[in-house]
This record gives sequence, C-alpha cells and structure tokens, in this order.
Amino acid sequence: MNPSANSKKYLIIGTALIAIVIAFFLIGLVWTPYGINSTDSASKFMAPCAEHIFGTDNLGRDVFSRCLAAARYTLLVSFAGVAVALALGTITGLLAGYFGGLLDKVIMVLSNSVMCFPGILLALVAVAVFGPSLYNVIWALGLVFAPTFARVYRSSTIELLGRDYILSAKVMKVNPIRIMFVHILPNLMSQILPAVIIGLANMTLFESGMSYLGLGVQPPAASYGKMLADAQSYMVTAPWLIIFPTLMLVCYILGLYFISEWVRTSMRGGSK
Amino acid sequence: MGSTVRSALIKICEFLLTALLVSFFTFVVFSIIPGDTARVMLGPNASEEQVQALREELGLDAPLATRYISWLGDAAKGDFGKSISFGQPVGELIASRLPVTLGMSLIALIFVLVISFPMAAFCSRNPGDLTDKTLSTAGHILFAIPPFALSMMLILLFSKCFHIFAAGRYTAPSANFGAYLVSLLLPSFCIALPKIAMTFKFLRASMIEYSRGDFVRTAKSHGLSDLRIMLRHIIPNSAVSSVTVISLVLSDILGGSLIVEQVFNLPGLGRLLLSAISRRDFPLLSGIVFYLAMITVLLYFLSDVISAMIDPRIRDGRAST
Repeated sequence: MNPSANSKKYLIIGTALIAIVIAFFLIGLVWTPYGINSTDSASKFMAPCAEHIFGTDNLGRDVFSRCLAAARYTLLVSFAGVAVALALGTITGLLAGYFGGLLDKVIMVLSNSVMCFPGILLALVAVAVFGPSLYNVIWALGLVFAPTFARVYRSSTIELLGRDYILSAKVMKVNPIRIMFVHILPNLMSQILPAVIIGLANMTLFESGMSYLGLGVQPPAASYGKMLADAQSYMVTAPWLIIFPTLMLVCYILGLYFISEWVRTSMRGGSK
Repeated sequence: MGSTVRSALIKICEFLLTALLVSFFTFVVFSIIPGDTARVMLGPNASEEQVQALREELGLDAPLATRYISWLGDAAKGDFGKSISFGQPVGELIASRLPVTLGMSLIALIFVLVISFPMAAFCSRNPGDLTDKTLSTAGHILFAIPPFALSMMLILLFSKCFHIFAAGRYTAPSANFGAYLVSLLLPSFCIALPKIAMTFKFLRASMIEYSRGDFVRTAKSHGLSDLRIMLRHIIPNSAVSSVTVISLVLSDILGGSLIVEQVFNLPGLGRLLLSAISRRDFPLLSGIVFYLAMITVLLYFLSDVISAMIDPRIRDGRAST
C-alpha cells in the first residue's frame, strides 16, 4: 500500500467529517426547523420521522434543531480553549527553551505539577470554584492543556538553538524576543500543528464530559454533553436521543484525528 | 553504581518537590475563591453569626502561609478536616468511596494490558494487512467516542441485544466480592476501551520499529522461532518504552472513572466530587482533589522507578530521555 495514498484517504475522510459538523454549525446559526427550547407536549419521544428527522426528546424538543444549535459550542469551546492553551504554552515553552537554566527549571516544574492533576479534575475544580459558565470552562480547559503545548515548544526550541541562523542572529545582537517569535516560532509549525489538532479533539472530549456532568455549557444553550445527560433516563426506550448527539461528537473528534494523522504522515514524508 | 544512586536521589527529590507543589496548588485554588470563602460556602441566606462561626472553624482569619502549613501538616496525617455537607471527616468519606473508583481503575488497567499487548503483537507482524487495518480503524473510532457516550452505547447494546441491564446495580465488596467485581466489569470496560486503542496504537508502532532492529535480524538468523523473538526480544523492549504511556493512561483512567461512575450510577469518588461541587463543600472538594493528585504524582514516580528497574540504560542515567 502506498503510504501517501493511504494518508490522502485520511485527509479526505477527515475533511468530510469536519465538513458535516461545520455545515451543522453554519446552518444552526441562521436556521433551525424548530426552536431549540420550544417544547411540544403533543410530540414527545417521537422516533426519527419526516417531520423530526432526528426524533424528539422527553419534552418534545426537536433533536435535529438542538444538534444544529449545539455545534457552535463544541466549536467555540474547542477553538477558544486551544487558543488560550496555545498562547500560554507558546510563551512559557519558548521562554523555557530559549533561556534554559533556572527559568526553564521553574517553568517545567510548574507545568509538571499542573499535569499531575488528572485533567478533567482540574477543569472541574476551576469551574466549581469560579462557577459554571462558558468562559470559565474555556480558560480552565486552556490552563489544563497549556503544559502539553509548552513541552512541545520547549523541546523543539532547544533543538533549534544550535542552528547557524539562530547563532548568527545572537551574534548580531538581535533582541531575544525577536529571535523567539520571528526566527524560532515559524520553524516550529510542523511540530505544533499536530498538537493543536489533537488538542482540539481532546478539548471536545473534556467539554462534552463537563457538560454531561452539568458543569460545562449551561442551559438554556444546547450542548451535546448535556443532551446526552438529559437523555440518559430514556435511552433504552428512545435510543435516538443518545445516538445523534454521540454521532455529532464522534464526527468532529474522529475527523480531527484523521486530519492529524494526515498532517503527521505527510510531514514525516516531507522531512525525509 | 554511583550514578545510579545519584539519579535515584534526583528522582526522589523531584517527586517530593512535585508533591509539595501539587499540595500548594490545591490549597491556593481554594484560597483565591472570589469573595468571602465562608459566605460563598454558606450561600446568600446565611446569617452573619453563621458565617463568622464557619470562618473560625476553618481558621480563615489566620494568614495564608500559616493556614497552608497547618493544612499540609493535617493532610500528611490523612486529616483533611470535616465535610460541611456530610458532617463526617473527609478522610472517612473518601475511604468509603475508594473501593469503587480504585477497583474500577484497576480492572480497567488490567483490561488495557491484557488486550492491547496481544493485539499489538499480532498486528505488528503484518503491518498493513486486513486485520491490522480493521483493528487500527476500530481503534481510531473508539478513541473518538467520549467515554460516557461509549458507556451509554454499551448499556444500550447490552440491554437491547442481550437483555442484561447492567447499570445501577452496585454491591459492596464486603457484602459479596464476586458481585462487586461483576458490577464494576462493564464500567471498567467502558473506561478501558479508548485507552486500549491508545495503548495499542503506541505499542503497535513501537513493536514494528523494534522488529526492524538489528537484534531481531540476528535472532532470526540464529533460527529462533517468531514467537520466541516476539516474547523475548520485541515485547520486553516495547514494554520499557510503554511504561510512561501506561502511567499517563492510568491517570486518564482515574479521571475518566469520575465521569463514567455517573453513567453507571456507582457510588464512587466521582459522585462524591460532584456533590461536593454542588453543595460548595470546599473541605471535601480539596480533600478529594489532593488525594487524586497525590495518587497521580505517585503513579508517575512509580513509572520512573519501574522503567529504571527493567531498563539498565535508564537506571545508570545513560539514556537521553
């Protein structure tokens, strides 16, 4: 099997899966067939049919409409969370890798101790202390994920330090900040891109788990995790209530994994 | 030998330092709560006397450093104070929930080890064939389902197809140990599945890499059987490199069990954590967080020790990790 053809397949399937989620998000922004919280006692627990293609839940809410509307929170939390983590991780990782010594030791010990808390626990505690809200979820998850990025940045920065162009920049007394952000950072893209994509996927896993526990995205907003939590009591009689939200989450996460697989293999191929 | 002792001492110091920092973080998070901690805990309807009484009970009037030292001293003795909502010592509450969470984590770990090693060994023999592709794709998909959603899917599968409704029946280990194990089997499996996929992926890659090594070619030229090469030469090497991955997996399993417990309605630490969060019971909350974080620190330390024990290169500090 030709490896590049195989990794192309990953790209195509991954993009298709992500495209489904993005389509849901875009449609959900402008139009939903029913109101996401409009209840209808006449049509409770309707199995998927022509009027309600994903069925209805225990309050008669249209599952399809809710799936459309929930996509925005999945995307928002994953992208905003990764942005926070990336910003923190970039700065600390570059500083630690570039300056080394005591600063490096301190940053690494700090990031190691953050990593010692099981990730979901730290996020839950932050939300518990500061109250459950979308923004608290985002920065809590960003904080939890920052050490992962910091490590990638640190080790790749150290690898680059011995290169001639960095040495000559140092000789020319270029400002360290400029060396870090103009000379080193652009060269780390190949290491950081897979980490970002995987980060998006993991962020979604965490967010859905927190929303499931009722500590993530708060009602009246619809989120896949909360939909699953609400559906739990009825899942045997109304399995569509858990199947569709799960499918949406899997679409997004699996799509991201496939794309990261493609990025990884194509970059490895490029470096050879 | 000197370097062995030195690297061991460094490891132990790092372990102690991390443990101390983790305890400090735990303490600080609960001290920087916006507003008056006692008031936050009691809610808006509490009277001024109640708030003042709680402040005194928690020692909130003392300076931060004094409070941290006394808190750390108590925590080292296993005394995390008294839970506000349950009125019981936090240590006792945690201990009463441990059989569920630790039992589940342990069974899940066994699942991960017992399933991922043979699967990876099998797939690494003919990478790229149909079995390998099927299992790798299945691994990707399993990895992409949130554990709690996977649990629901499995409960659905079991109840619809086999008519066994496995959720919500828990037996204490002291009452009936067999029934206790059975009640934890499905939840453990649900936590384990994505981790099996992760460990499998890592092991498969490392086994393929090792099977291309010179030492495997030499072993082949000596006429050793494939099975012996796999068992004696490839698996031990992969096992060394997988220790770190497995310690990460174990910490994920602990975190995952907090959520999966909710799906299966099991009275574990996860349930305790959630009730502590919803009742704003901070002594209980900080006790649970501290306890779980300490277990994780210990796990990472043990994984270092185990790698050093089975791999002489790491033991003598020769490997560039």
